[in-house]
Amino acid sequence: MNSPFRALFGRRSTQVERYLGVLIVIYSAVVGFQNPRFLSLETVFDIVHEGAPTMILAIGVLLVLVSGGIDVSFPAVAICSAYVSIKLMWVFGLDALWFMAPVSIAIGLLLGLVNALLIHFLKLPTLIVTLGTMSVYRGFMAVTLGTSQYPVATMPKSLAEFGLANIVSVDGEGSSYGLSVFFPIVVALFAVTWFILYHTMLGRAVFAMGSDEEAASRVGVNLLRTRLFVYGYTGALAGMAGLMYFAAMQNVDPVALQGFELMVIAAVVIGGAKLTGGEGTILGTFLGVLLFQLFQSTLVQLGLASTWASFFFGSVLLFSLAMIYYRQRKADQRNLVFRIG
Amino acid sequence: MADSILTAENLSISFGGVNALVDVNVAIARGEIRCLVGENGSGKSTFVKIASGVYHPSRGTVQVGGKLLSPGDPRAAIDAGIQVVFQDLALFDQLSVAENIAFSVLLNSKNAYVGRKRMRQLAADVLEIMEVELPLDDPVSTLSMANKQLVAIARALCMDAQLIFMDEPTAALTKKEVNRLLEVVLGLRDRGISIVFISHKLDEVFRIADTITIFRDGRKVGDFEAAELTQAKLTYYMTGREVEYPAYKREPREADEVPLLEVRGLADRLHYRDVSFSVRPGDVLGLTGLLGAGRTEVALTLFGLNQAVRGEILLDGKPARIASPQQAVASGIALVSEDRKTEGLFMEQSVGHNISSTRLDTLLNKLRFLDLRAERELASRMVQAMGVNNKDIDILVGKLSGGNAQKVVIGKWIATEPRLLILDSPTVGIDVGSKAEIYESIQRLARAGMGIILISDEPEEIAANCNRVIVMYEGAIVATVSQAERETPDFVERLARMISEPTSQLAAPIQEGVPQA
Repeated sequence: MNSPFRALFGRRSTQVERYLGVLIVIYSAVVGFQNPRFLSLETVFDIVHEGAPTMILAIGVLLVLVSGGIDVSFPAVAICSAYVSIKLMWVFGLDALWFMAPVSIAIGLLLGLVNALLIHFLKLPTLIVTLGTMSVYRGFMAVTLGTSQYPVATMPKSLAEFGLANIVSVDGEGSSYGLSVFFPIVVALFAVTWFILYHTMLGRAVFAMGSDEEAASRVGVNLLRTRLFVYGYTGALAGMAGLMYFAAMQNVDPVALQGFELMVIAAVVIGGAKLTGGEGTILGTFLGVLLFQLFQSTLVQLGLASTWASFFFGSVLLFSLAMIYYRQRKADQRNLVFRIG
Repeated sequence: MADSILTAENLSISFGGVNALVDVNVAIARGEIRCLVGENGSGKSTFVKIASGVYHPSRGTVQVGGKLLSPGDPRAAIDAGIQVVFQDLALFDQLSVAENIAFSVLLNSKNAYVGRKRMRQLAADVLEIMEVELPLDDPVSTLSMANKQLVAIARALCMDAQLIFMDEPTAALTKKEVNRLLEVVLGLRDRGISIVFISHKLDEVFRIADTITIFRDGRKVGDFEAAELTQAKLTYYMTGREVEYPAYKREPREADEVPLLEVRGLADRLHYRDVSFSVRPGDVLGLTGLLGAGRTEVALTLFGLNQAVRGEILLDGKPARIASPQQAVASGIALVSEDRKTEGLFMEQSVGHNISSTRLDTLLNKLRFLDLRAERELASRMVQAMGVNNKDIDILVGKLSGGNAQKVVIGKWIATEPRLLILDSPTVGIDVGSKAEIYESIQRLARAGMGIILISDEPEEIAANCNRVIVMYEGAIVATVSQAERETPDFVERLARMISEPTSQLAAPIQEGVPQA
């Protein structure tokens, strides 16, 4: 059996991936029926532009969930890294992306490594540690740098331009639109993460640690190194995503993305990652975030306020997980397996 | 010894002032199968943990292939070719079979890139040596316990193991699977690999052992050629006393006409059909057959966890419906399930809380609060009655040995004062001494008028405790044995045959119909 899916991904599609794929197609068809303009290249480009920062954050979340942890500090890391990098740049009197991007990524990496060290040496649950650092990072930044907003007029020009830059431009009737530079960045990050997770020993160690930490350390997985990688990588991704978020919003808002962590985690969980670790796919994560982004940006076209987005998204989360676990439980009952959790 | 792979000399270790191992000398030859036997806490596991570098001995040395092993260093042991297949296997459930097998090798090779092809090749090579076939790309979570066991062994081999310790590898396997595993073990020996096999199942020990090393109270009793020992002698060395299992005999009672429990033509959707039997007060009914014969499923039905689709259950002669464990307990039925760790106990709770957990409704004072004194009293009484070694009811159940934990499970259910007690494989993984004590409890309870169903696949266990026996095969009853027949001299051998070759029973049933005393 050589389905196109198999040829592309080298494995069978998971139940969740098929389910999400169908759901996205049906939803798109419904929206397209209501508003034929929806089914256009412009919509695709829009979603790419708006969804890119979330996609990048979700990659980090996937990694953490696969490793058996939960990270809620990544939006704080994203905002802090980007904001600090901008402030630092102004100290040098610059206005350049080549300064902001590496610095923001480096700060994100650093904050992520701090998470990893705390988790490893305090031996605390990852949720507790990152709940703590989330507040510490945001609080420390607010105290030292303040919380001034910089709307498009006062934000760094290079950053504002970055947010509007396209790699391909299409002239439509009246307005022109294009494919954002975010697109190749996201694609590259997906590819790199996929390669690390599936084709390097480091990535396999992440799966092993999430599957059974004790067993992993017994076969010789270096837990500290693996954690440093997971949280450091997630932090670096967040540093990148933070800048992209400011750029996309055309507004530097140091108190943004509060509460966003749970939405992204939910998207990754819908995509098939397990909170118990060891499971999750990149394609699933992509589909989960795509669904989230679709709700965010298209409910208006169905005549609903965009505030309905979280309602719909939450319902999908509950319904799909309930269904998957229900099927599992039915199968268990048939086989007289009494499983905990 | 020149040809020995592992030589341990004068090993001693103590934990908190308790001597866990005293002056132990063990030499294991290349290509031999060594069985370690001894009761729980006799020092077998401690020995394995020192030999594999998990524990640092307070005295003594371990040499592997003539070279001194640096103590307390698991990596050094692994590099020297020592592998341990622990009872919990420590596999990665979500990863594929191939990856589980090849993981350590890939981790140790300097190559950061993981090639799927190489991974599958490594795994396939090892499985070929073992002469078994497993689905390389399936996640380990989808495998049976027996196949997981094989994956764990394959992983050890993949690491170039010269000596493999196996800690009770057969505890959760069916007869057929045990045979396959033992064949694999014999095959490895023929390739010059040494195996150290720890098991409570003495018949397996005799089948494969070249040499048997017996431990008792942290000391080595001695090394014996398998041929020079008998089961009785072995048991004597392990326990330091003659252990006998006196056979249970039921005395006739009044009001025998109405059984406690009667089951007529019972069937569930998938696992068994046409099951009929009865249990009177004082009966110990043996329910036996190979793993997967439907024994456990019948018990689950009686406990409200597996709905029957046909047939009748009568309690005291009246039709009863048991739809949930709550109803079962209310009707006076208790089930001690097979897996005490996940289904029988709260491992992180104290012994006292575990015992009282089934009786909380009766331990309330006038204000409907828990009467803590009554709770402690009940717990202490049960601990005494069951003969749990450690009388401290505040100790966590997880800290008890298997035998004592099992006594707590039984005690917990006895506390509900059931009229019918179902015990599913109550002595799996339990040492001989505790076993005898559990048998005593079973017989004492039966004599006091409780009806007991004992599920087991050990003929000796059934023969010692049951006055009537039912043999199941593939979901149906293939033989029933009356008390009179049970008392014939070669009964154990015949029962063993009935269990292992049930199909011959189908052709020539020993006795048909519902058993009568």
